Amino acid sequence: MAGRGELAWACSRRCLSPARKGLKPLRTVVAWRGRAEWDQVMVGLYCGDSRLQQEALDRVSAWKSRYGPKMPLAVDCTAELIRCKVLDSSGKLKSYELILSYGLALVRFVNLITERKQKMVSIPLRQLAREVDIPVWVVDLRHELTHGKLPRLALCRKGCDVVLDWLRKTYWSRQLGNNLCEESEDEEEEQEGVEANAELGNDSWEIQTPQHEACQKHKEFHEKVRDVLMSYKNEQFRVLQTVQSVSKSREMWFDSSSEVDWILAQIKDLMQENRELLAEALLSDGFLIPKMDCLKMLNIKYEANRDVWQFKIPQTFYCFWQPLLTGLLSQNFTQILLEKMFMELKECSDSSELRPQFLIGWISEMLTGIAKVNAGKKKQHCNKQAPVKELFLHKVPLQWIRLTDNCLEAPSWATAHLLQLVLTIMRPRLPRSSRKNLLYLTSVYTEGGGPLPSPGLSSDCSKQPIYTIESLQWRARQENQVKNQGQTEEKEEDELERDGGVAEVEEEEEMVTEVNPWEGLAHSGNMMAIAEKRAALQGSAWQISADEVQWKDFPLGKLPGQTDDPDGLMLDNYSMMSLLDQPVREDWKAPNTKSAELNTPVTGGLFWTQNDFHKIKSGLQLF
Amino acid sequence: MPARRGPPARRPRPRRGSSRGGRAEAAWRDFAASFVRAGMVPPAEAGLVAVETAEGAAVLILAPRQTLTFTGKCRLRCLYGSVRLLGFAVASHQPGLAVYSPSTHCALTLEALPAARPTAVDLRQLRAAARAALRAHSVRRQARVKAMAQFSPECAVVLLEHLDTPVTRFLLSYPLLSRVFEPQKKEESNFTPEDAVLASVGIVKCSPDHGLLMSESMALALEELIQACCAEDEGVPVVLVCGPKSTGKSTFNRYLINLLLNRLPSVDYMECDIGQTEFTPPGCVSLSNITEPILGPPFTHQQTPCKMVYYGQTSCEQDTERYLDVVKYVFSSYKKEVPLVINTMGWVKGEGLLLLIDIIRLLSPSHIVQMDVYDWKAMAPLTPEHVHLTPGLYTKGEQQAKRKRMGLSGAENWKSSEGDGDASAPEYKLLYVYPEFPRAGAAGEARVHSSILRDMAILGYLGQLQSPDIGTVLPLHSLVPYQVPFNAVALRVIHTDVAPTNIMYAVNASWVGLCRIPDEIRCQTDGPVLLTQTPVCDCLGFGIVRGVDMEKKLYHILTPVPPENLRQVNCLLLGNIAIPNCVLVGQQGTEGEIPYVTSYYNYGILGSGKLRKKKHFKKREYAFECDYD
Repeated sequence: MAGRGELAWACSRRCLSPARKGLKPLRTVVAWRGRAEWDQVMVGLYCGDSRLQQEALDRVSAWKSRYGPKMPLAVDCTAELIRCKVLDSSGKLKSYELILSYGLALVRFVNLITERKQKMVSIPLRQLAREVDIPVWVVDLRHELTHGKLPRLALCRKGCDVVLDWLRKTYWSRQLGNNLCEESEDEEEEQEGVEANAELGNDSWEIQTPQHEACQKHKEFHEKVRDVLMSYKNEQFRVLQTVQSVSKSREMWFDSSSEVDWILAQIKDLMQENRELLAEALLSDGFLIPKMDCLKMLNIKYEANRDVWQFKIPQTFYCFWQPLLTGLLSQNFTQILLEKMFMELKECSDSSELRPQFLIGWISEMLTGIAKVNAGKKKQHCNKQAPVKELFLHKVPLQWIRLTDNCLEAPSWATAHLLQLVLTIMRPRLPRSSRKNLLYLTSVYTEGGGPLPSPGLSSDCSKQPIYTIESLQWRARQENQVKNQGQTEEKEEDELERDGGVAEVEEEEEMVTEVNPWEGLAHSGNMMAIAEKRAALQGSAWQISADEVQWKDFPLGKLPGQTDDPDGLMLDNYSMMSLLDQPVREDWKAPNTKSAELNTPVTGGLFWTQNDFHKIKSGLQLF
Repeated sequence: MPARRGPPARRPRPRRGSSRGGRAEAAWRDFAASFVRAGMVPPAEAGLVAVETAEGAAVLILAPRQTLTFTGKCRLRCLYGSVRLLGFAVASHQPGLAVYSPSTHCALTLEALPAARPTAVDLRQLRAAARAALRAHSVRRQARVKAMAQFSPECAVVLLEHLDTPVTRFLLSYPLLSRVFEPQKKEESNFTPEDAVLASVGIVKCSPDHGLLMSESMALALEELIQACCAEDEGVPVVLVCGPKSTGKSTFNRYLINLLLNRLPSVDYMECDIGQTEFTPPGCVSLSNITEPILGPPFTHQQTPCKMVYYGQTSCEQDTERYLDVVKYVFSSYKKEVPLVINTMGWVKGEGLLLLIDIIRLLSPSHIVQMDVYDWKAMAPLTPEHVHLTPGLYTKGEQQAKRKRMGLSGAENWKSSEGDGDASAPEYKLLYVYPEFPRAGAAGEARVHSSILRDMAILGYLGQLQSPDIGTVLPLHSLVPYQVPFNAVALRVIHTDVAPTNIMYAVNASWVGLCRIPDEIRCQTDGPVLLTQTPVCDCLGFGIVRGVDMEKKLYHILTPVPPENLRQVNCLLLGNIAIPNCVLVGQQGTEGEIPYVTSYYNYGILGSGKLRKKKHFKKREYAFECDYD
């Protein structure tokens, strides 16, 4: 699966790159390994729990080392202010000391941030502060701190909170393309897809860790997720209230505010922690599966008659959740969410309540979205008037066989429809005959009627033997094996199948395997050198790293098997060592201590200049 | 040092008879130059003779004193007569020299040295010798005939060959440097056939005023130093070169070293300018023994020094005490057998000047070259008397020292520990050099930002990782790294405090100094060993922490340090010198996201940038000077 995902990604990158050249932002080096680390620190700093805040501060100390003098001002200022808050809540300092700490952090913030805006002729601080929306009283507070009486602690605390909020709104929430609707979101989503992809191989690892987690923690997490989701809901409702019109608020929802981005960043962070639980929470009552009152608020009439909705989610409700889902639906999470949805559907397929209907609606919306984006119909929503935003911005290769299983295990009145969607999107496709039979079978099972009229599939299949789930699973296993054998065979197989059926236009991605010209050379030419080095290091702590590793596949800072887990480099044990005798002082007095010459040309030994030397060497036969 | 541009070296070189021409030659040249200055004679040579001899090779025939100022790179070999490049005389017995004249620096000027006028009898022999030399370097017959047609006995014949080494290939593979050997812009519209021949070799002729300008004072200083260094009787000279930024210290040093190498087998060079190092990556104080001429900027001649300490920063303001410790430590390994040239920092204001005075006291040079612009009174003349009386940052001036000595006897006073630092003033000769090229002393106007020059030096160092026998450039991440257990090497972050639990976040994909401390690394666990203070210790080279294996507790490190030296490394020092951004950003063909690289960091958002030191903000009401540097 992983291999396949990468290829799809590589392909989509290739397809996109020419178009993107114009707007492609500059690639820069930052101190965090990836998005996850950034989000983790941001949430940590702002979470209000001083233990977590301290952990985030510790990480920022490493960022400071990486950045050196290039550390972003806003990160520095945030860390300094949070440090004060942590000190404050520790209760170790008295109010006077706290005032001093808060004071310095606040003064630094106002000065450093406004100095960036200073021109050659200095502009009064108040004016600069007004320009960037720093409350004037904070500037006054700075003035008091530096030139006047020390303010009271309460005022310092308040100043700190206000400034931290300012930093969050102006810097943290807006940085790293947190604005969802921006064009540049594109690539990031894509990268996220890859990231998720790389983790797919570690599924087993992910499942094992929660095992030893206490039930309590589980519950806490669930509550945390619910809280954040609630805040999302509230924010969306708030927007609705301000405009007082559902249609207008739909537009407002599209252009998500910084508030929503902030919430989204928090959810993403939680998602890093536990995708499964996040999916569960999303599907619990009151979120993606609404309660009646919620529908009422959104002015949606509930129709018990399922045909009215045509496997769709009511527009307003879709728009309500779209910004959140678009932000979350990475490849990995999409898979999880769909699986969970099918599982939920299995539980409640008989009930005639909202739940199954919305589950089917969401599954269908998601699958349609994936179908669109996988078919390569690139976003036509350049014109912002387009009424409905897509859930997916990028191709999401999923584990289709698994989804097929899931779909079949959750039979409902809509299974035939959903299955057909799945079978149409899935790559590589099942043999045409299998698809036909499966559809027929499901329709028999779920509706007792004839198969759905389906485009591209003839309905003449009455003479076919009856398939069962088992046969599908057998088939699936076979497919999996084939797939694991590599893409080339996969392609061949595809071709073979096509022979039997109607030739379909396959918009399957071309798979280009890059051939690295140096690869072979590196091996033949360097083997000797490596062997020599290895010999020279015999008995030393230094060794040549395993050369069977395909190093070229791993960028600097990443090793084979390393995940993107933002906690991956945390140390649990280390020892401190102090140096007692520093060589300097003695060496200075006695210049001839253990000299450490490396490859030193013996300075005293040469008597000829370069010139003389070469003259002698060349035999000097000019005259 | 950044680019220097100015009228070509048209002033006489030392008037004394150090070279054959002597006083008469100098007078003649002055006379000739006066015509040029008056605009009566076109400054360019009458016509350059260049003959293509093979693919990417050309023979150049230069009339006596004819010059060629150029941008580009090539391998140069003198086949007949002799030429001079940045002070270094190249005669026909020299093997090929790699010559680098990037557009980021002062262009190199090739000048034919005049030979004694031959007698008629010699003439034929000389022709034969030249022809033989051409043949010996497999210049094709056709080209040979063409070249010999232009031959005159006084001329110099130079063979230029296309230069392509693993290091240059590596450097040019980065966008930052890919155009570094190309001229900034085409100056002349008329493109002669000679230009085409030179271009095929890899160099482009440029206006002579892109080359080095030798001011009168510089020539005099050089002459005096050469004399001192070549004199037999006295002890070996120790020359300390100081002055503000962008006054041409580096170029002066290169020129001086090249001149000395004409006469001496080797020269020692001590680098105290941690921001712009000559032979090592930045952030180091080092002592190197120089035997080869310096014919290019630092990134083309990275070499292993005799002694090196990684200071870990590009300026020493934050920890001047350790800086002095480091300087002392490195200087202690100088054996006083060959002349020493000491380069110092351009920080000569406020504390920087005091620190310089400390350094002068500590290293007690025999000559000080003070470079300064006439109208820019950055620093007082560092006369022996002045230095004698002025307190440094850590050392006392004369009066104070006396008073102190009377007060407490056992005071820790370097001055006294340095021997009997009596009432006598330090003995050294002060040489004043006034650079006369445009933009001298104007640090802000340097063509290339100092951080880019540092990145270039690091890339030049990393270029040594390229294996010589492969024609393509191997990306750094594809190379097989070394590995070493956490508990076998101590670790220290020099420039900031990092929470120990998070230290690997700082170390991963970072630039580290590979050092050796005398202490044994004792460790009970398999975890990393963190030092509680920054040691002053030998640095054997540098590397990139390619990855940190948290399960096996291993650092993976990419370094060109040879394994014999690497096995001595037991300490990793991490400073604020970073891997050049282009190394991380330019990684291709890797799986997944590149760590530490993003396209989504928006510098437009307030607070996203770094802290900038403000230079001069004028208040509305009154002028307000900040003494930042």
